Amino acid sequence: MTEYIIALILGVFFGFSLNKAGLTKYRVIVNAFRFTDMTVLKFMLTALIVAMPSLYTLRALGMITFPNVPATYIAGNLIGGLIFGVGMAITGF
Amino acid sequence: MKNIINYIKKEQWSPYIAGILLGIVGVLGVWMSDSLLGASGAFETMAGLFGQAVAPALFDNVYFNYIMPPGLTWGMVLLLGTFFGGLIGAATSKTLWWGKKGAANPDKQWKRIFGPQTWKRWVIAFLGAIVVEYAAGIAGGCTSGLAISGGMLLAPAAFIFIAGMFAAGIVTTLIIYRKHY
Repeated sequence: MTEYIIALILGVFFGFSLNKAGLTKYRVIVNAFRFTDMTVLKFMLTALIVAMPSLYTLRALGMITFPNVPATYIAGNLIGGLIFGVGMAITGF
Repeated sequence: MKNIINYIKKEQWSPYIAGILLGIVGVLGVWMSDSLLGASGAFETMAGLFGQAVAPALFDNVYFNYIMPPGLTWGMVLLLGTFFGGLIGAATSKTLWWGKKGAANPDKQWKRIFGPQTWKRWVIAFLGAIVVEYAAGIAGGCTSGLAISGGMLLAPAAFIFIAGMFAAGIVTTLIIYRKHY
């Protein structure tokens, strides 16, 4: 039960940050592909820059263990990514 | 304090501030629940739950039995929270347009490229979403589940996915926008 409450609360902040960053808008997503609005990149890379060192520090301190890292299978990741980009550019989600 | 409240009410935050918030949420997900943020997986487990009830034979395969077993998962609750988070975000910036005229298709840029029809926006979004979800199934995650959550664990899969996503996104946008690009 606690797990689900954590999930719900984290989900709320997740959706809130996406909304406030403007990633719920068609033009923000598509303009990233037109190089006229870099919001998506700024947002994603900031999240990565915050999370990467935090996670690796916490692991080095022995406070967390990493969950299953997404599997690497180059063809699948790449082809999936390519199709995903098409869908993303069409929908703007 | 007043400044903070006013900032929360802003429709569009600095992407750096919102990004820091997302980064913290991502870390807390691993720390507290040993789970990664994601969205596409929840739709698959939901589809599996629904499919096994309606057409059990069709959904009795390796993918739904082992790779994406249906059930009430952490990700599904997270997705529910995401919905409410977006709702709260829109409510605080007063962009929550319940039933207001034009709210079903508010984007000016979309209308300039595709035309003013609302049904067209919804049909294209529906078909495009099928493409997105299918692709996320192949790649093993979506922008949040693979690109961000995988990226913060330095998973090679995430960076291959991001490269493919941007390459295809740029080409598709070029084709759609042509001289408007």
